[in-house]
Amino acid sequence: MPQHTSSPRRSPRLPRLLLGALLAGALLPAWAADLRIGLSSDVTSLDPHFVNIAPNIAFSDHIFDTLVKSDAKGKLVPGLAESWRALSPTTWEFKLRQGVVFSDGTPLTAEDVVFSLDRPATIQNSPGPFTSYTNQIVKKEAIDAHTVHLHTASAYGPLPLDLISIYVVSKKAAENATTEDFNTGKALIGTGPFKFAAFRKGESIEVTRNERHWGKRPEWDKVSFRILASGAPRLSALLAGDVDVIENVPAADLARLKTNSQVTLAQHTTWRTLFWQLDQFRDQSPFVTDHAGKPLDKNPLKDLRVRQAISKAINRQALVDRSLEGLAVPASNINAPGIFGYNDAIKVDAYDPEGARKLLAEAGYPDGFSLTIHGTNNRYINDEQVVQTVAQFLNRVGIRTKVDTQPVATYFGKARAHEYSFALLGWGSLAADFTLRSIAGTPNPDTGWGTWNWGKYSNPKVDELVAGALAAVEPAERERLAREAAGVALTDLAVIPSHHQLATWALRKGFAYDGRIDEFTFAHEIRSVR
Amino acid sequence: MTGGVSHTDAAGGWRALARAYAGSPLALGGLALLLAIVLAALAAPWIAPQDPYDLARLDIMDSRLPPGSLSADGSLTYLLGTDGQGRDMLSAILYGLRISVAVGFAATLLALALGMSLGLAAGYAGGRTDALVMRAVDIQMSFPAILTAMILLALFGQGTDKIVIALVASQWAYYARTTRGAALVEGRREYIEAARLLGLSTPRILFRHLLPNCLPPLIVVAALQVAAAIALEATLSFLGLGLPVTEPSLGLLIANGFQYLYSGRYWMSVFPGVALLLTIVALNLVADRLREVLNPRLRPQ
Repeated sequence: MPQHTSSPRRSPRLPRLLLGALLAGALLPAWAADLRIGLSSDVTSLDPHFVNIAPNIAFSDHIFDTLVKSDAKGKLVPGLAESWRALSPTTWEFKLRQGVVFSDGTPLTAEDVVFSLDRPATIQNSPGPFTSYTNQIVKKEAIDAHTVHLHTASAYGPLPLDLISIYVVSKKAAENATTEDFNTGKALIGTGPFKFAAFRKGESIEVTRNERHWGKRPEWDKVSFRILASGAPRLSALLAGDVDVIENVPAADLARLKTNSQVTLAQHTTWRTLFWQLDQFRDQSPFVTDHAGKPLDKNPLKDLRVRQAISKAINRQALVDRSLEGLAVPASNINAPGIFGYNDAIKVDAYDPEGARKLLAEAGYPDGFSLTIHGTNNRYINDEQVVQTVAQFLNRVGIRTKVDTQPVATYFGKARAHEYSFALLGWGSLAADFTLRSIAGTPNPDTGWGTWNWGKYSNPKVDELVAGALAAVEPAERERLAREAAGVALTDLAVIPSHHQLATWALRKGFAYDGRIDEFTFAHEIRSVR
Repeated sequence: MTGGVSHTDAAGGWRALARAYAGSPLALGGLALLLAIVLAALAAPWIAPQDPYDLARLDIMDSRLPPGSLSADGSLTYLLGTDGQGRDMLSAILYGLRISVAVGFAATLLALALGMSLGLAAGYAGGRTDALVMRAVDIQMSFPAILTAMILLALFGQGTDKIVIALVASQWAYYARTTRGAALVEGRREYIEAARLLGLSTPRILFRHLLPNCLPPLIVVAALQVAAAIALEATLSFLGLGLPVTEPSLGLLIANGFQYLYSGRYWMSVFPGVALLLTIVALNLVADRLREVLNPRLRPQ
């Protein structure tokens, strides 16, 4: 019925509509389908298995896919693998998605997956190999074109989490390819949302949409990434309209940007959590003294009441509002909210200077003691201010505190040699059991536990729960154990949590991004808005 | 007898110098400003509203307040505002001046003593001593002062004493060269010849007879170098190489406030900058006038 009435009227209208569409297309080609992104760190290689650093991983995600992906909040979601399960404590089965093809048209098979898992171990001279994610797998089997079995030597729960870091390349394109072949684009054949177009090392990368991508197609025909390492030029490029989106907005400029109607800001809690590590193994700690500067006969930081007092003395809300200018949220855990094993039963310690003084008196320090606290001055958001502000809070409850901040290059070396008494560290991972193993596990060079446990905190109960979580192949069971381990470690104040950092992106009007917990900037998740 | 005569001569000389100096109102103003700054710096613990280096006195809730704000507990008005840690800017500037002035004068006196001794020895002894000292001076002066100071601070670490050492090491050469030049001229005069023939000991000739006649150019150089030392200390602190962050000097205050300039919180870096500027201008006015009155060629007939 409508055909009859509308067809006589349609013919005169059609040319006008076409003309309008053509005009619109001619006038607005650049911002209808192109996206220009200012990155804060250099992408050093396009080979997705060459070096395990954030800027390279962020780029690889545009060209390649992984079996398991993490969503913007850090939750594991299906990638090239539609589903996975543990067949036995040491055998995992991954079912591949049907109908996935590489950008050159070859279909994805289990052979490509096995090849990609084998490849990191064959890379020579990698400054940061990906093998820590593949070492646990002792045998890989392609059962049929869409089924892969992975075997581990012992029960290993975090296997799916490890696989979010291994990108699947095309066996056909990459079999005899060198890292150089990836940088020229020859071997850069993936299943991801974009295809390679051009790479000028240290300057820019260009990609175009992969029309064969299996998932949601990005709205951008072409994306160019520009490397703008310094904060001020990066921001200037955005304000001048040379790029549409920048990551890592300089903190001091945020207030000014908030009032700029041409720019919108996107913020997301990151996985990076900052906390204080306390010397809990020496009986006389090098930076703890009485008020006259003489060593104390015992180490107060070993006393839980003193640790509780310190935690209560820190006004975390004031810290994030003032010293961090709102670029953080107070922390109670050593992983960000929403991350696997986050224990929401543990609440942020309320600011309570009276309670802190009382606890110090109970522990035998009614007049406090003297302490030097250490931190970085170029690593985390406003880190130097954070250290000074915490010193201010500690002084108020009678712990006479001095501050020593250093560039990260000298700081980490000294901290890892256990030279400090009270030191700031920021850590990011997507699972609480992972974090606890490195930060609160009893240090043991043979097993790799406690590699960043500067204060050598040691609690058999925590060790047991973390080991149990890592060996649990049932996700629910593993999460229960990880949560419990976090609860035990944090109730005992293995470390004193401070804050979770926020990451900030700035976008020109007309663009939108939700941000990601891993701080990555993904062109395929940036949208246009009116 | 001779001692008595020279004493009255010297007193008369100083009085003439003071009269000549007073001939310029601008220079007198500079001197008054300098004295006021030095006095304020010395009296900082008594006149500052807050001890800015005592972390227990600071309140983070008072951070980044504009000039004239009242503190959260109502006990104090921040006349020049507060910095990122809630530190009263006025107190911080007074304490900062104290560090700058102390470091500037201490470094200048030490560098003067060292450079002068070496310069005198070089100019008087000549020969190998002269060559050795002057080559050391040449090497020293071929490096920018800031570079020498930065290398030394990187080696020694932070602290007021380390800054003084770094400043002395980068400035002694100016005094050595100036002293040597003066000593070369004076050393050939008859009164030195006479002193030598009288059999006076070398130290006595050097310090009793040669040195007083080399002093005028040294005074001028020293006055200018105090300003240079204060500026250098501020530069080093600005670069984060000088003093601990909890005890900011003027340079560090400017550096800390610098990041807030774009967001309109000018007071955190502008006020310490003005204090630094006034100090250096006052020193330069005084030094300039001293140069005029001590140089016979510039003296009006």
